[in-house]
Amino acid sequence: MANLKDIKRRMHSVESTMQITKAMELVASSKLRKAKERAENAKPFFEATYKLMAEIASEDRYFDSQYVHKRMEDARSAVLLIVIAGDRGLAGGFNANVFRLAQTRIDEVRSQDGNVIVMPIGQKAVDYFANKEIKVLTAYDHVAEHMNIYLAMDMADLIIRTYQRHASLQSVELIFTNYVSPILQVAQKMNVIPLEELAGNPSRRCAVEYEPSPEAVFEKLVPRYVASLLYGAIVESFASEQASRRTAMENATDNATEMIDQLSLLYNRARQGAITQEITEIVGGASAQQ
Amino acid sequence: MNTFRLVILTPDKILFDDQAIQVTARTTEGDVGILAGHIRYVAMLQTSALTVKLPDSTYKQAAIASGVLKVSDEKVSVMVTAAEWADEIDPDWAERSRQDAMAKIEAFQNEPDRLERANLKLQRALNRLRISGHGTH
Repeated sequence: MANLKDIKRRMHSVESTMQITKAMELVASSKLRKAKERAENAKPFFEATYKLMAEIASEDRYFDSQYVHKRMEDARSAVLLIVIAGDRGLAGGFNANVFRLAQTRIDEVRSQDGNVIVMPIGQKAVDYFANKEIKVLTAYDHVAEHMNIYLAMDMADLIIRTYQRHASLQSVELIFTNYVSPILQVAQKMNVIPLEELAGNPSRRCAVEYEPSPEAVFEKLVPRYVASLLYGAIVESFASEQASRRTAMENATDNATEMIDQLSLLYNRARQGAITQEITEIVGGASAQQ
Repeated sequence: MNTFRLVILTPDKILFDDQAIQVTARTTEGDVGILAGHIRYVAMLQTSALTVKLPDSTYKQAAIASGVLKVSDEKVSVMVTAAEWADEIDPDWAERSRQDAMAKIEAFQNEPDRLERANLKLQRALNRLRISGHGTH
């Protein structure tokens, strides 16, 4: 029969763990609510910017831009991979899923003799790439919760400048976590530059007046597009992180409740056993004296 | 007066989505005023004031950071990095951000990229201060 004191101690320890997981669950749900709203609010601007770029690309007969063509591959071909993960752990498979997808892409590029440069966003992503033999462009940690558009624009400027300065940079790709529903979040890869889908032949001619010119407007839109894409992806990943943490903590709390139930059953059984034994001893002792 | 649908978007919110009579803005090529029935038009906007004439003929002014103005058949869209109504600007915050920008300009004299960004920040701060009625310019 298990020791009563030991069982009691284990029950206490599980109970205090449960208090923590329960608190984390509540914090994650309240952060999720705010993050979801921010992710929703980020969509109209992004969509409107993309639509305008697509319109310029499809309506201007002479349209051409450095951002829509695939570059010639050469020996030093490289891919810039932006990887958005969380600042903290204890969020189920959230971080691991992002890194698995990133690693798959890195291995794929390397198997074709290409180089990978990463731009980690989030403490966990920074840590993940810190002890790997991989070039880091710039690392950002603890930015997601208070993300603002100016920081996103700084990031976009850096990305665009890097793309312009290095002709060997084939593409800029983004790995983030798509918030599908409160119980489903999916790590996804997305191409940022080049915008190959916009390189098709212009189909219709439309009377739109562009000032100063369609190309100038397009070139100026690209950094804004990248900035709003990053902003949206960071905010959405943050919402996914919170949702994932909430689910993980909910499960942990459930498990703890179950453990406490089992332990108290065990405890009561042990206590009853001890009492029974005591009575048996007393009765045994008494009858021996008669 | 004919009205049209005006939408003012920033990356983090929709500031305005309603009917308007006129919108006046400063593009990189000069000031423009848009009325209902304007031809399709796209222009780059500067950090400046955007004035909206509402259907009740009152005017509302907003401080905007740079962006795009787009007139399509169904609506007029203003897509800018930041936009606040004049009466919602916090002058203390704008003043702090002006001082911060000045300090950055001082510090980044030898870094063209960061200097340029600091200059843009200063422009935004001055623009906010001017439109909120607290500017010295």
